[in-house]
Amino acid sequence: MRRIARSTLQTAVNLVFFSVLATAILASTYFLTRDAIKKSEDAEKLKLINQIVPPALFDNDIIRDTLSIPANELLGTEGDTLAYRARLKGEDSAVVLESIAPDGYSGRIRLILAVRANGELGGVRVVTHKETPGLGDYIELTKSPWIKGFDGKSRAVYKDADWKVKKDGGQFDYMAGATITPRAVVKAVNKALIYFEQNRDKLFVVNEAQKESAK
Amino acid sequence: MWSSPFITTPSSVSQIMLRVLIALIPGIALYVWYFGPAILVSIALASITALATEAVMLKLRQRPLKPFLTDNSALITGWLLALSIPALAPWWLVVVGTAFGIAVAKHLYGGLGNNPFNPAMVGYAVLIVSFPAHMTHWLTPHPLGDIVLTFSEQMNYMFNGVLPAGLTLDALTMATPLDTLKTQLHLGLAANDIRDMPIYGRLAGKGSEMVSIGFAIGGLYLIYTRVINWLIPAVFLGALFVISGTFHLLDPVHYVTPMFHWFAGAAMLGAFFIYTDPVGGATTFKGRIIYASGAALITYLIRAFGGFPDGIAFAALLMNICVPLIDIWTQPRVFGKKGGGK
Amino acid sequence: MNLQEYKDILHNGLWKQNPGIVQLLGLCPLLAVSSTVVNGVSLGLATALVMALSSGSIAPIRNYVPNEIRIPVFILIIAVLVTVVQYLMNAYMYGLYVVLGIFIPLIVTNCIVLARVEAFASKNAALPSALDGFAMGLGLTAVLGVLGAMREVLGKGTLFSGIDLALGDMAQGWVLHIIPDYKGFLIAILPPGAFIGLGLLIAGRNWLNLRAEQKARSKPAPSIAAPEAAQG
Repeated sequence: MRRIARSTLQTAVNLVFFSVLATAILASTYFLTRDAIKKSEDAEKLKLINQIVPPALFDNDIIRDTLSIPANELLGTEGDTLAYRARLKGEDSAVVLESIAPDGYSGRIRLILAVRANGELGGVRVVTHKETPGLGDYIELTKSPWIKGFDGKSRAVYKDADWKVKKDGGQFDYMAGATITPRAVVKAVNKALIYFEQNRDKLFVVNEAQKESAK
Repeated sequence: MWSSPFITTPSSVSQIMLRVLIALIPGIALYVWYFGPAILVSIALASITALATEAVMLKLRQRPLKPFLTDNSALITGWLLALSIPALAPWWLVVVGTAFGIAVAKHLYGGLGNNPFNPAMVGYAVLIVSFPAHMTHWLTPHPLGDIVLTFSEQMNYMFNGVLPAGLTLDALTMATPLDTLKTQLHLGLAANDIRDMPIYGRLAGKGSEMVSIGFAIGGLYLIYTRVINWLIPAVFLGALFVISGTFHLLDPVHYVTPMFHWFAGAAMLGAFFIYTDPVGGATTFKGRIIYASGAALITYLIRAFGGFPDGIAFAALLMNICVPLIDIWTQPRVFGKKGGGK
Repeated sequence: MNLQEYKDILHNGLWKQNPGIVQLLGLCPLLAVSSTVVNGVSLGLATALVMALSSGSIAPIRNYVPNEIRIPVFILIIAVLVTVVQYLMNAYMYGLYVVLGIFIPLIVTNCIVLARVEAFASKNAALPSALDGFAMGLGLTAVLGVLGAMREVLGKGTLFSGIDLALGDMAQGWVLHIIPDYKGFLIAILPPGAFIGLGLLIAGRNWLNLRAEQKARSKPAPSIAAPEAAQG
């Protein structure tokens, strides 16, 4: 009986020893790499933002200058998203919004887009999508420059009827055989621009208190 | 037991296969009538590729060339593939598909009689996955298109990629009736309004519905001459009718009629020429019923809810892979054993 | 341990018992990340590192771990090592970390890691165990690299695309465009290409083996045996 108890105790001690050792190693690696990970993540985010908001347009810490936007129909979002604000010498220059096109050929297409303070598009990028490879995936910049067709476009120049693919009488290119995907993207971008028009004043507000409410 | 008697007597294999080829001719003739002669070039290219690949693979596998090259089975693969893909396409499309089907799906699995998957359908699947953009440019049937390419203009496009000045692929080609239906439903139109579009005829797509009828006639000839068994086409078309009919009755705004499903896409080609392939198909009576109705179900699900416009080929491949199981499951009971079929 | 035994360990891992094309272990990452050479080799090396470290660190403690809690302790050690590798990649190879995604933490569940620990490290000394783990990992890396190369050349016409993710921006120009103006054969990049490619690799290895066997067999009895065997 005592022998069993002793061997059980030994086993338990053994297991505890290895768990403590494991925790120690993990914790120290975590603390050693924490700052580097944060830095890489920020650098990656900045790289993406820089594609649509050139560095010349802002001098603020754009990654920290955020605004939480609740779910919105015009943006197609169903939860809180972050908007990044670009400011140059204290002047508002652009805002980066997230938007979701719900009606891709196979589900949602997640976009980020930059809108300049004057209402022009700085650029659009597809973050994730499930469109058919080789057919609808030309919305990715790595596959084709199609998405750059949005650069510089605005609702001041293009009216609602223009925010369509050429096949439907609009201004935007598409590739034969795959029209559903660009239709969805063009529609979502137009709606996001409408959202910007309606909420322009709120988007750029500097507010310390909002950081708390955003959590 | 009907397990593949086809490999034992080469002469009858080639005769059977020849009848299958003959049975395809009415459909092909109507195809040429409605869509122009480009399909003949595709078929010729596919035939040459099929025979050449077959010869190379036989040589590599150190098998005799003559009995296998003359059994016409490679030709059927080539023809079926050519008929499944757009006729006006770069020449390499049909060549890549046919070569892949014969080399990988047929010979790497052990050649005729041992291939679990229909080689033509494997070729089709490879093409639609790899080159989806090319696979959407279907010729407009001539009652609809105001522009008809001459034969030499078609050749110029297929081999040099050059279209006559001022013409785009968009002007010459269109999405298939099934694809258009899917796109328009996606845009929120009702099935009835979509059917009023000019590309649709009485049954399904203008032109293509007639080609389907042509294939059905050829299929009936095959049943009459006992080349194929009537069961699989009957069950497949019946099941497709029942499934699509049920959906249509429940919600006619979003689901089209069974007739449409019969005569659109490759349903007729599938029913009589693809699912009846003796090699990859089920061999028992019950097995064939399961096989054909499963194919109909998958076809319908892909057409109505899937990411691809037509589902005949994927249904064939998916059911092919179930065949060993179906055959074991439905094997007539051996003495003393209980259970079995059900 | 003498030199021959170390050689055997290497030969086992790289060829005779290759985890990728002989033991067919760890196929999930093998199939999922082998779409390019860089992805495949990176995950392979990460796995090899984890295997060498886990086998090498478990072998010396094998006599102190009671049999009943052997597996949990081994898994704990493997999980720690994988997490450390994951942190390091997250910190210093962020691009690659994003591309390989879930497959880095999944190295823990790769059965080849635990299999080598159980089959080899729990019975051998530290040095040969570490070598065994590393050799097996290298064998997997080799398969991932070859499969990645096949799929990448056929699918995209390039080699080493994404190498800048692994080696930093200086490597940006190192991508080889094997076939210029290539339209791409998508199926090679997509999941079916992984299965077909792996099948071809396994067939290729079996064929080479068969030929080697035939040669070995045909030497003592050269006249009759050879043509018979050719049928197999």
